Amino acid sequence: MLTQLMTDAITPPLETAAVVPFPAEATRLAEVEPTVRETELLLKIRDARDRGAFADLFGRFAPKIKGYLQRTGLNAEDAENILQDIMIAVWNKARLFDPLRASARTWIYSLARNRLIDMKRAEQREYAALERYAGETAGDAVYEEDLLARAMGQNSVALLALIPPEQARVLLMAYVEGKSHREIARELNLPIGTVKSRARLAFQRVRGILEKNA
Amino acid sequence: MNVTQHPDTAWLLDYATGALSRNFELVLGAHLMACAHCRTELRAAERLGAALMMAGSAERPQLAPQRVLEAEASPSPWVNARALSAGDTDALDLQTVVSQYLDCGLGALPWRSAGRGLQIARLRSEEEERLWLVKAAPGTVLPRHSHTGSELTLVLKGAFFSGQTIYSAGDIEDANECVDHQPVVTRESECLCLAVTEGPLRFRSWLPRIAQSYLGI
Ligand SMILES: [Zn+2]
Repeated sequence: MLTQLMTDAITPPLETAAVVPFPAEATRLAEVEPTVRETELLLKIRDARDRGAFADLFGRFAPKIKGYLQRTGLNAEDAENILQDIMIAVWNKARLFDPLRASARTWIYSLARNRLIDMKRAEQREYAALERYAGETAGDAVYEEDLLARAMGQNSVALLALIPPEQARVLLMAYVEGKSHREIARELNLPIGTVKSRARLAFQRVRGILEKNA
Repeated sequence: MNVTQHPDTAWLLDYATGALSRNFELVLGAHLMACAHCRTELRAAERLGAALMMAGSAERPQLAPQRVLEAEASPSPWVNARALSAGDTDALDLQTVVSQYLDCGLGALPWRSAGRGLQIARLRSEEEERLWLVKAAPGTVLPRHSHTGSELTLVLKGAFFSGQTIYSAGDIEDANECVDHQPVVTRESECLCLAVTEGPLRFRSWLPRIAQSYLGI
């Protein structure tokens, strides 16, 4: 059961443009391991400037990146602009991709993350994500399942449901809301040491699960 | 380089999610250059970020891949300041750190005396955060202090004791409001550290407190 949930959590839908919470068994079997395929595509872009490979990669990533950007608090228009920067960077900077250091999805995630950091610093303003879920994180009862589901989609609920809720919350605030452990401690009114140990434990657990499935 | 003292995992998660301020990112980035262990941790944290991004719900983009390819001719509007993969020389070359991040040589830094054997240069001051270089002669005993926030101290050269632990080049001492410490530089050599603090330090005795207002620490 848990293994099944995890497989779902780390296997992206084949049709990335549509929101498919759980990919059908058939499509999953027809596909090579998605992370392997993604890396092959990025290598074709790197080595052969393969436009077809770029279109394929775009279809797999662009909707996910846009979803991620909007979850961090960007409106659709800003997300669209940032997405364009990121996809241009994927094409232009593919020569820097080294599959021995990172998979394509980790490399692209880092690009997106870096673009967000640059934007935050350039604008020097608190951005909407910081307060976006503040009201909701303050109340305990409905937080876990419901907010997780809305924020992340069902697949991530499966991933984060495997760890205690107070740990999942810390990871969620870090990865979805982009908060530092200091900000999380402040917001949850917890000692810094408590937040650090929750983050550490949660990360160890989830990391173990991911690596078993990698 | 034999790095044995690492920042808490929570710092690497912050690094992976992009939640750090420039100053904390700088100090951690310099440690990551020297520390293969933390680079492995960071990559795992980035893999988790990527997995969560891909597991999250999708939003249909307006953008078409053709438009990106057409834009190819024009230069990328965004030049990434961070290296796409943190350098991994497993060494901590001070000049590299200084020139990469600080835009000036060590000699040009605004050093001020902060007591016997101790010199500090404030590199950046932003809201509650301060970025410092600290230079202490062999055997210097620093004033005992606690913190009002986080403090990361990266050893660039030499070594110091804090409590029972020795911190040498490449190591990070990860302190916060729960920590009350009195670093002591080892007798062998001068010690140079890059430190970032959040909020003012709290000193036990009055003498450093007077210096504090003068030095702005
Ligand atoms: Zn380390």
